[in-house]
This record gives sequence, C-alpha cells and structure tokens, in this order.
Amino acid sequence: MSLFYKNPVDIEILFDGEDSRKHVEIPTNSHSAKSLFDKYPLFEDGESVTGLVTLRVREGKKLEHSGIKVSLIGSIDTTGYNNDVKNKNLDTFLTLSMDLCPPGELVHSVNYKFNFKDVEKRFESYLGKNVSVMYYIKVTMIRKSADIVKLKKFWCHRYANESSIKDNEGKPIKLDIGIENCLHIEFEYSKAQHTLKDVIVGRIYFLLTRLKVKHMELSLIKRETCGTEPNQLSDTTSIRYEIMDGSPVKGETIPIRLFLGGYDLTPNMTCNYFNVKNYLSLVIIDEDGRRYFKQTEIMLYRTM
Amino acid sequence: MSAYSDNMEQAISHIKQQTILMQRSLTQKKLMDALKHCSDMLKELRNPDLSPKLYYELYIIIFDSLSILSQYLVENHPTRHHLADLYELVQYTGNILPRLYLMLTVGVSFMQTKDCPAEEVLKDMIEMCRGVQHPIRGLFLRYYLSQRTKQSLTSDISLDKKFDIQFIITNFIEMNKLWVRLQHQGPLRERDLRTKERKELQILIGSNLVRLSQILDDSFALYRDEVLPQILEQVIQCRDVVSQTYLLDVICQVFPDEFHLGTLSQLLDTTLKLNPDVVINKVVLSLIARLNGFWDRQDDPNAIIQNLNHLKLDSNTDEEEHSADDGESTAEKLDSEPVSRNKFDLFFVFWKYLTKITEERPDLPLHEIIPLVHSIMLLSLKWYPSNLSNVDILYKFCWEKYQDFGKDIPEECEQSFKELFIYPLSTDNFYEIITTCDSFQKLLSVQSITLQKSIINSILDKMVETNTKITDKQHLDKLGAICEPIISVPNNKPKTSILTVSDDLDSELTFFNPEQEKLAKLVHLIYHKNVDINTELLLICKKWYYNGGKQLRFTYPALITAFWKLIRKLHFKSLKRPERKEDYNAKIKQLFKYVSRCNTDLFNVCGLSISDLIFKLNLQTAAIADQLTLSEISYDFFSQAFTIFEESLSDSKVQFQALVNMAQVLQKTRSLYNDEGYYDTLITRCTLHGSKLLKKTDQCRAVYLCSHLWWATELTLIGEEEGVTKNFFREGKRVLECLQRSLRVADSIMDNVQSCQLMVEILGSCCYYFIHGDESETHVGVKYIAGLVELIQANLKGLQLEESGEVQDFTAPSQTIVIGCDGSYICKTLSSSTCMVSSKIPNVRIPDLIAVPVSYFERTLEYIENQKQVDYRFNAITT
Repeated sequence: MSLFYKNPVDIEILFDGEDSRKHVEIPTNSHSAKSLFDKYPLFEDGESVTGLVTLRVREGKKLEHSGIKVSLIGSIDTTGYNNDVKNKNLDTFLTLSMDLCPPGELVHSVNYKFNFKDVEKRFESYLGKNVSVMYYIKVTMIRKSADIVKLKKFWCHRYANESSIKDNEGKPIKLDIGIENCLHIEFEYSKAQHTLKDVIVGRIYFLLTRLKVKHMELSLIKRETCGTEPNQLSDTTSIRYEIMDGSPVKGETIPIRLFLGGYDLTPNMTCNYFNVKNYLSLVIIDEDGRRYFKQTEIMLYRTM
Repeated sequence: MSAYSDNMEQAISHIKQQTILMQRSLTQKKLMDALKHCSDMLKELRNPDLSPKLYYELYIIIFDSLSILSQYLVENHPTRHHLADLYELVQYTGNILPRLYLMLTVGVSFMQTKDCPAEEVLKDMIEMCRGVQHPIRGLFLRYYLSQRTKQSLTSDISLDKKFDIQFIITNFIEMNKLWVRLQHQGPLRERDLRTKERKELQILIGSNLVRLSQILDDSFALYRDEVLPQILEQVIQCRDVVSQTYLLDVICQVFPDEFHLGTLSQLLDTTLKLNPDVVINKVVLSLIARLNGFWDRQDDPNAIIQNLNHLKLDSNTDEEEHSADDGESTAEKLDSEPVSRNKFDLFFVFWKYLTKITEERPDLPLHEIIPLVHSIMLLSLKWYPSNLSNVDILYKFCWEKYQDFGKDIPEECEQSFKELFIYPLSTDNFYEIITTCDSFQKLLSVQSITLQKSIINSILDKMVETNTKITDKQHLDKLGAICEPIISVPNNKPKTSILTVSDDLDSELTFFNPEQEKLAKLVHLIYHKNVDINTELLLICKKWYYNGGKQLRFTYPALITAFWKLIRKLHFKSLKRPERKEDYNAKIKQLFKYVSRCNTDLFNVCGLSISDLIFKLNLQTAAIADQLTLSEISYDFFSQAFTIFEESLSDSKVQFQALVNMAQVLQKTRSLYNDEGYYDTLITRCTLHGSKLLKKTDQCRAVYLCSHLWWATELTLIGEEEGVTKNFFREGKRVLECLQRSLRVADSIMDNVQSCQLMVEILGSCCYYFIHGDESETHVGVKYIAGLVELIQANLKGLQLEESGEVQDFTAPSQTIVIGCDGSYICKTLSSSTCMVSSKIPNVRIPDLIAVPVSYFERTLEYIENQKQVDYRFNAITT
C-alpha cells in the first residue's frame, strides 16, 4: 500500500523517557521480522502513560484534517495467528481517548503531549499460541478520506500484590503417591506459589522402589486454554529438567532445586476469555522406557 | 539431550575435541561457550555401558579438562563474572550429571575465593549429589567432589575441622552405599563380575578414610567420639561382605596406632556385628599386626603401656562392670594375676572380645576361631611376653572349644592349630610356655597324631637349637607328657605271633629314626648343678622313655652316657674333696647300678636285636669303672659283657669284632690285677673265646691279638712310662704261646693266600714284641722270627708254583687289593678314589690275589731291613 501511496504525514509516538525505560524482549511471531525479538517498552498496572506525538508534514505541503486524537487500547486476540484473518476475534477491553487538536490544517511539524493518567491495565501483556493480550497507543488523524493511523505497542506487567500472596505461601505441597507393590514415593515442594524468579525447592522420598528407575525428571508445564467447550483451544509448553540419574533404594531422599529465573515463564492468568496455568510434573522413567508421572498445579506470579 | 558416544575411542576423541573448543572459548573469554562445551563433554560420563575401568579413564580426562575451567574461573572471578552467579547459572543444565559436575567445579572454585560462604556451598554440593543414584556414576561424581575439595579443605580456607570431617564422612557414607548397591546391579549370574568390578573401585571409597586420617592429624577425641562411631555404624549397616572386609582393613591401616589402642573395644565390637560371611580373623589379625608393628616401632615399648592407661582412663569404668559379668572363670583367673585389673590391659580387651564372640556367634566354625586365638596370642606374646598365664588361658580356651566341638578336628583346622602351636616356639620364652601352660599339652594331645609328631619335632629341634637346659622336675614331666606320642610305641597292631611282631619292629627300627634321635638329644639337655637332682631328672626321663618299648635302643644309650658323665663328674669332685670320698663313692656306685638297670632294661625289652650294642655299653661301663679303680664293679660289667657274648652274640663276624673290642678294653684296664685274679680270669676267657671262634682266620687273628693281653703297654694318660713303670702285667711265655697257637691255626688254613697273609700278620706281631721287649722276657727271639720268615718264604713259593700253572697274563691289574686286619678284602679300582670292602673273595684273577700276601711280606721284610739301622738286634735276623 505504501508503495503507491505515500503518507503525507509522519506520525511518531514517543513515550516520556522511553530511552531510559525498561524494555522487554518478546519472541516475535511474525515470520517476516528481521530479528528474533521485538522490543517493547514496559509499563505496569496503574502507571500513567505519557508521551509525545510528533506530526511531521512534508516540506511546503498543507494537510487538512478533521481532528487528531490519541487513544490507549488494550485488547485480547483469541484468534491465534494460524487462523484465518477474517475470523479475527478481537475483544477490546480498554479504550481511553483524548483529542490532541481540533480539526484544522497542518502546515509544519507539530508536537502534542498526551497523558493517560493512572491507567488501570487489567491484564498482563501476553503472547501465546492462540491468545495474545496487547496494549498500544493509537494516534488517529481523522480525515475526510482515509484516516491516518499510527500504532505503538507497549508491554504491560502486572505485579502481584505481595500481601495477598503471603497468606498462602507458607503451605508446602506434599503428596504421597505410588503404585501398589511397585513404587511408593512422597514428594514435597516447599510452596505452591512461586514468583517468576523463584527457586522451586523440594525433595522426593522413596518409600518403596521395586521399579528399575532409569532417571527422573521434573517438567514445568504451561497450559494455555481459551474459548469455551466445545471450541476450546489449548496449548502446552514444557521445560524438562533431570533431577535424578539411576535407581534409588528404599529410604533415599532426592533433592529438587529448579531455578525459575532463567526461563521465560508466564505467570498464571485467568479471565473470561482464556487462562494460563502452570503445572509441575514429576516424571519417572524406568529402564523399559515407561513413564510414570504426577502433575501438580503451581501458581506463578510476577513480582517486582 | 544428545546422547553419549557408542564406544571408547569416539568418547575420548569427543572429549578431547570439546576440551580444545573450551580452551579456545576461554582464551576468547567466552565463558558461556566454554560452559556449553564442558557440558557437552560431560555427557560422555552418562554412558551406562562402560566398565568401571573404562569409566575411570574417561573420568581422568574430564577431570583434567575441568581443572582448566576451574583455573579460569578462579582467575577471572570478580572481574569478569561472579562465581555466585555462575553457581546458579550452571544449574540450568538440563541433565543432572553434567549439571552436577559443572556445579561442583564452579562451587569449589568459588570456595577458593575470599567472600564465599564455603560451608553453605559445601553443604549444598553434597546434598545435590544425591541426585545421582546410579552406583558407578554416583561414585565417580562423589569422588570428584572429594578430590576437588581436597585442596580447599586442607589449605586456604580454614574451615572448622569438625565440619570438614562431617563433610567427608557424609560423602564416605553415601559412596559406600553406592558401592554396595553396585553389587546388586545387573543379572544375578554376573555377581562375580560385579564383585570384581567393585574391588577395582574400592580405592575410591578408601580414599575418603585416608583423607579423614590426614585431617584428623592427632585429634584423638574427635576421632573417638565423632569419626569412628559414624564410620563403624556405616560399616555395620551396609551388611556387605566386600565392603566390611575392605573398610575394616582400611580403618586398621590408615589411622594412627594410638587411635586404635584407644578405640580397641569399639573396633572389636564392630566385628561382632558383621555379616556372618566376613572372615573375622582376617580383620582382627590385621589389627593385631598393626598393634604389634606399633610395639616394634617404639623405642621404649614399656612406656606405651603406661600411656595406655592414660588413654583409657575414661572408658575403663564401664569395662570393669563388663568384666564382672563375663565368664567368671576367666575373670577369676585374671584377677589372680599380679597385674592389677584397673590397669588397662590390651590382652584383657581381646580376651573379653573372644569370650563375647563365642557367646554371640556360636555358629563360628573352629577353623575361624583358632586363627583368631592365634592372632591374640601373637599380641599377647608381643606385648606381655612375660605374662604366660595369658597364653595358657588361650590354650585352655581352644581346648574347651574343642570339647564343645566334640568331634575329631577337621582337616581344614589342622593348619591353624599347627600355627597356634608353632608360633610360641619362635619366641624367647617358648620353654616357659610349653612347660608351664597346662593346656598346651592338653590341647596338643587331642590333635591328629601326625600333627602332634610334627609339633613335637619342632619343639625338640628348638630345644636343641637353643640349648635350653632342663633343670626342673615339673618341666621334665611336662615335656615327657608332651612328647609322649613319640615316646610310646603305638600298640594297636594285632599281635599274631611274637616272632612276626618283633620282625616288624626290627625292620621298622633299622631305619634311622630322627624322632628318637631328638629324644636322645633331649637327654643331654637335662642338667642340674646338683648331681642328686640331675640324677633324679635322668631317672624321670628314664621312666618316660621306658614306655617306648623297642625304641629304647635309641634313647637309652643317651641316658647311659648321661649317667657316665655324672659318674665322671662325681669322681672328679671326690678327687677335689677327698674328705667326702665315701659319700661320693656311694653315689657313684648307685649310678653304676642305674646304668646296669638301663642295660638290663635294654636287654629285656629289645633282646637279641641289639645285644651287640648292650655288649659295647657294658664294656664301656666296665672301662669307666676300671678307671675309677672300682674293680668289683668293673669285673661285674665285664662279666655281663661276657654273658652277653656267650648267650646272645651268634654272628661270627660280630663275635670276632666283640672279642677284638673286649681285648682292647681289657688291655687298658689297670685295677683288676688284684688277689682275686679278675684280670687273669677275664683275659684267659677272652683268649679262649678267641680260639673257639668259628672261622679259622678269625681264630688266628683273635688269638694273636689276645696275646697283647699278657703284655701291658704304657698309658701315658695315667702317667705310665716304659722303662720307668715297673709293675706292668707281662708274661712273655703266654705271649709266645698265643703266637704259636695262632701260627698253627694259620698253617692249617687251606686257602693258601689267606694262610700266607695271616702268617705275615703274625710275623708283624712278632716284630712288635721283638721291638718292645727283651728276648728273654718275651720269648720271641731272632730264631723264632727267622724261622717264621723261612716258613713264609716256603709257603709263598708254593703259592707262586700254583700261579705258574695258571695262564700267564701280564696285563696290569685293574685294581689294587689289600686284605684288612679283620680279613676282609679291600679293593680299590684304579680309576676311582673309593674303595670296596667285602668279606668275600673278590672276583679277580688268581695272580692278583696271590700278589697280596707276597707284597705284604715284602713290605714287612723291608721294614725289618730298615729296623736294622735303628736296632742292632735285628742284624741277627737274616732274610
């Protein structure tokens, strides 16, 4: 489109202090992108989003418009990028707008400040396989012909409320499972709720092992579910982490320690449209390749 | 998760390649890449199919590679990276084995920096190592931990010693568990292979104990209270034969001797709780060997006994209680010792242990207990060489054990029993042991007869070798009891008839019998300053030996000689102290009676077979009596000798020899020329017997030899001198009579050669008398000699005539033949240096035989010619 028609105006959106602002790198999902990662400035829930819109008109040209406005939009896209674009299922849950200037004529470049004060961002930005949560600033120059639109995405992290988490933190997960006359283990994770930089600590106590165990691993599984039955879509990704090699004897205790900080993890999320859950799965593989596993849901949350 | 290589070559080349890549990354300061390469090469260690040997090879290469990494990490610590961060970072590795190796490498490097919470890191590392439960991989991983922490624990960072020790012990326990588990890997039929593999790996586990002993240095309290109990607990818990045997051995080897002394009872108690298949005595033996070595290494061994008490002060109190309820009999025994019980007694500890082990392990077979006892004996003899009651207790214990056992001793135990008996012999006070320990003999007597004999032989050898004098009656009795098996004759043979039995025995006895020889030697070891006691000892010995039956012939002569010795000793004493002569003479007479008794016993028991020996013994005794001027006794023994000659000596050769012997002894007697005419009676009888010999040659020789009985010659030893001493017993007439009779016999012999030979011999005798006496006294004069010479010449002519009738053969004779003084032929082959002696005519040509008397005669004539220059009287003899 731009080949044939050159925008008569350059719109640039710049957040206040953008250079010094923290950015997140998100794996890109479009195949045409030049780099593997997209960089987005990071905002948190409740933070004001302020910035500067610069409109540059080509030298010696005038541009008529019926007003310029800026909006902050948050939307959930449950289409999935493999799906057909036509069935785009977009739900905008947040729209804030303000006018930058009344209808008139642009002769030379102009700067406009915008300020969305204390914006409540209900959801975290998220880019999953079937679901994505996006925030962006949209500048619209309303014209009689096609409007000129400029988007700028930013990323949002929501930090969990420390006090609400604290209540449950003290409870470790303890499980006692087994196969009759074959295997009996007790395992314990120090807690059910972890921050993303946390370490999962735990131990496995072998009460009975008739099984010839080859090794044992821990899988951290993220499960994203969206839609409602029967059109539910779900996707799981997992991280595997070997925690034991060889076959233990009765009475042996195997330590578990898994640093989460190094992995790209998603905190648990729940809303009407989709949810993201995390599970810890303990998998025992015996010498014949059979797998025995036990999944436990854990809660991940983001802290500062 | 890329897999490991299929074979060793690939694995090694892969590791080497990755090492090079890692080094390159490090020079470029790309740590993350380096870590990636490390983790890549570490994957090789995940291979489950490698034998421990190959695995070790890989481990070594990797160890070196990781050392490079470790060095880099330490050098660049605060500048390029922080090791605390790295410690976390490496834990993202997905596979546990590479992860832990990296983690340990980083962790240990971290510990070498100053700002490191070393204790926490160590704790964390050892805890995380639990993740590897595979025996071989786990063992090597923990070995890696132990190797890596070696420098840091000992050098730079001075951690709390206790912590270090705990750390090593924990690692040791885990390693041992893995090691034991290795046994149960794989199929059952490969058990032996597993055991072999485990033995290859044992050093990995043992190295921990070595480390411990290095760190402990000399902190005994720490060892006793912290280290040892934990180690022993683990040893007991693992219930594995290979492990228990190896670990106890290592414990004995690596820790200082003083520690062992202090914790002896702990160690010993542990052995009680081992797997029943463990050979306990091996363990105890190595412990005792260690203690004995310690004793040897001390400059002043007695000082350590003192120190022992010091070491043991605290734990001694409870021991006292134990001893009270232990076997009462032993406690009593021990209490009665002069060594007071409140002192720490090493032997007592072991003894207690021994009683305990029999209580708790009644299943223990004899062949395991005996070596145990043996090893304790080693200890006792080394540490308490003078405390023989210890040894006795041990023997007694064995004996009781044997009684409980109730059967014959199985063969496999014999060797152990043998060692038990043999060992004390190598110590200095073996004599005290065998003579004072009652149980020694008791235990010995239940052994198999061959074993007994071999031990008795060793005892006797040792006695003779060390020349141990036996001075005590009890000792002698004990020895007698010990030696009984070889003294007495086994009388379980069925007696079919007296004749055959004696034949059997004879054939048995004709062989040289070393055992009896040793018994005979034992007699000479009996010695006491006091003659009476010495006599008594000999009589006891005699009593013991009397049980020997026909074997008396080996032992009694020795006894008789011992009596002779005493007689001479008494005689010497009486000469020195003439005032007590009466007393001594009485004793001497008594001793002669004992000798006579011995002779009689010999005769009664052994009878005809050794009458020759008895004859000689009688003669010799007679000679001694004569020398002490006890004519009555001497006569008695002579007459005994004659009786034996007349009654028992039947072989003509023996008779001849006996007579020669008799004549020789009689000729030297001096005390018999008394009123009763003993000498005359005896010599007449002797000559008479000579003339009645069966063979004429013997008669002839015997008679001319007996002629000397009438012609006493000087005995310089008792101060006689020809020409000075006047009262020589000389009767020339009788001499001549004898010579003439002998000549008559010689003449009547049909064999010309023999006859001539004898005549020349008589000629020799004549020359002797001619030289030694005046013609008027001896009646052997010029005329007589000349006549004899003529006679011989005539006879020889006859001989030579005989020779001319034979076919002439001038080849040189192949051998030289001479006729001996008893008529036997001595042949010397020219080619060899040895001679053959036989009483039969050798198988040679007649002329050679004839040449014998001829050349003899020529030599005699030559002698006479030579004498002419010395003695003018010879000039009268014309030849």
